[in-house]
Amino acid sequence: MVKEKKDEALDRREFLKLLLGTSAGLLLSPGQAVLRTRGSRDSGIKVIVLGFDGMDPVLTRALMQEGRLPAFRALASAGSFQPLGSSIPPQSPVAWANFITGTNPGGHAIFDFVHRNPENYLPVFSASESIPSRHNLKLGRLILPLSGGEIRNLRKGRAFWQILEDYDIPATIFKIPSNYPPVKTRQKTLSGMGTPDLKGYYGLFNYYTNEYKAITEEYGGGGRVHDVYVIGNRVEARIPGPNNPFRAGNPETYVDFKVFIDPVNPVAKISYQDQEFILREKEWSGWKKITFEFIPGQSVTGICLFYLKEVRPKFKLYVSPINIDPEKPALPISTPEHYARELAEKFGPFFTKGLPADTAALENEVLDEKEFLAQDELVYQESMAMLEHELSRFRSGLLFFYFSNTDQRQHMFFRLIDREHPAYEEKLAREFGQVIASTYQQMDRALQLALDKADKNTVIIVMSDHGFNPFRRGFNLNTWLLQNGYHYLEPGVKPEEVSLFQGTDWSRTRAYGVGLNALYLNLKGREKYGLVRPEEKEPLLREIAYKLEQLVDPKTGQKIILKAYLSQDVYRGPYQAEAPDLILGFNRNYRISWASPLGSFPRELLEDNRQKWSGDHMSSPEVIPGILLTSRPVKLPDPKLEDVTAGILSLFGIKIPPEITGRNIF
Amino acid sequence: MGKAKVKLEKELYEKIKKIAEVAGYSSAEEFIVHVLEKEVAKFEGADSEEEIKKRLKGLGYIS
Repeated sequence: MVKEKKDEALDRREFLKLLLGTSAGLLLSPGQAVLRTRGSRDSGIKVIVLGFDGMDPVLTRALMQEGRLPAFRALASAGSFQPLGSSIPPQSPVAWANFITGTNPGGHAIFDFVHRNPENYLPVFSASESIPSRHNLKLGRLILPLSGGEIRNLRKGRAFWQILEDYDIPATIFKIPSNYPPVKTRQKTLSGMGTPDLKGYYGLFNYYTNEYKAITEEYGGGGRVHDVYVIGNRVEARIPGPNNPFRAGNPETYVDFKVFIDPVNPVAKISYQDQEFILREKEWSGWKKITFEFIPGQSVTGICLFYLKEVRPKFKLYVSPINIDPEKPALPISTPEHYARELAEKFGPFFTKGLPADTAALENEVLDEKEFLAQDELVYQESMAMLEHELSRFRSGLLFFYFSNTDQRQHMFFRLIDREHPAYEEKLAREFGQVIASTYQQMDRALQLALDKADKNTVIIVMSDHGFNPFRRGFNLNTWLLQNGYHYLEPGVKPEEVSLFQGTDWSRTRAYGVGLNALYLNLKGREKYGLVRPEEKEPLLREIAYKLEQLVDPKTGQKIILKAYLSQDVYRGPYQAEAPDLILGFNRNYRISWASPLGSFPRELLEDNRQKWSGDHMSSPEVIPGILLTSRPVKLPDPKLEDVTAGILSLFGIKIPPEITGRNIF
Repeated sequence: MGKAKVKLEKELYEKIKKIAEVAGYSSAEEFIVHVLEKEVAKFEGADSEEEIKKRLKGLGYIS
């Protein structure tokens, strides 16, 4: 019996499930779906949807008027162009889930990037959860998993491509956010935002340097700095991998590597496992495979990029987050399973981490603006090649294709188009002030590819999930709750030293903020130490909402929060009860602060945002709608994300299922 | 805070002294403490609250 279980545990897929139980959370089995249809009907009509994350209607219109987006202008002239209403709140996982399911958060249960566990008040990632193996066999220091762990996509509701499948209409869905692990389907899908790196993080770079400044720093989830020594023109270091589920304590795995520096030229040779390659200073390596061994016979492979930033006088080597290898995915990243492999066979290794741009490396000045863009340009070029490939074989049904560059670059470069931004720098603005505009032009080239492919039976839809605005000032919600008697700390606790609510007196606390737009009551019967009685809930929420909506920033005279939405007023559907109690819709230029979302209480209520991450989208949705361009005129006034879903189903003649709250846009 | 003494082989200590000097530490002791602190941190709570924070910070929206 034990032998049987052990064999099961050592099955590759089962084993890998465990791996992420300890790191990212691992594996599903999306490819095992039982299909009712083959998804191969010739639908007559064809629909191409391009999703440009965060593309803003104001900027788009301005660039169209300047003649810099000819493909956009052509599409708008033939069909229509208008703002597209975003979700409450307008965060990408929520917004794309609205589109995927044709509903609102009450119907799909994604309310914020970050939710909280009412049992312990701790934040959790909203989009997926990993469940470690429950049964292990301990042999000395070895732990052999007897059953697989599991990773779950927490988005509820049916995806529109599953509905298309019911009608035998084929679809290819490329990197749509809020679909990790990919839901069961025989349609071709590749997961996007939410897909972790091999360590289970949402991006952990490694940086090797002998620069003193960085020696003792470790950058939170964004990256890790390794202080190294250059001795005899040689550097020895290690690349950390996933935690080892087979060893007691799940220690981190690693791969040793060596760097041999040319004594004269700015060149180095990097060597590990069976890899050996030479990089010049300022050169990217291209994808390199790396294998982490757990026990003999059990290992996992990832892919990463090396960048030799500097050889002398200081040694500086950047290694990208270890992406899941699409050729041998350790985690479920596609349906059917062979779709990722098929792409890898054609294109070689490719970015699989949900959001590939390394914003953390730029934020922490491990990569500078130029280097960050060089890496994100690889992402764009890769996306363009794959779009061209998918368009070339697109015959019937629906193709959805996603680009992340617009979102990521606006997050990092808005400071350079906003002279009033606290992080604005004239010199950098001269050099990089056109990054956002040129990124929009790159999206125009993607659209042109689709227009070239379109025939009279093709409907083209271009959409974004939200727009963008400057993030100049951050609001410390938990500090405000503390100052206004809604939150209490234990006696003697210094507020500015609190993190994750350690020090909160839950016996007196009535409200707390977790996540980027969310406020929860400490509700009796729901939270572990809940004290707000159900009958007190609505009056208390309306009181807090009213006070928040009155807040004015003394520095600018502007309102901070335009609208505080009671979720019971704005959400409908089976998951409404799981929602935060209040959703904050910030005014233009404002956002939640950096520290408040994880249960901290900085001293000041408001703070300037001096970081490179300078554009954002946590406003009230009317402040930052997305874009909607279609080749067919849109008849519905004020369309919203979920209405596009209903429109797509209608194009294929499908009756809108009752759980979809969107209305047909056409 | 009190201090404890740890015995090292002289040969190892000499190596540490040399590396500490090359790497720019003010003393061999500073180097040893730094290295040990980092090693100890690896064993402290893989799934701790700090770990939760690190993972969420990787999203980019939180610092």
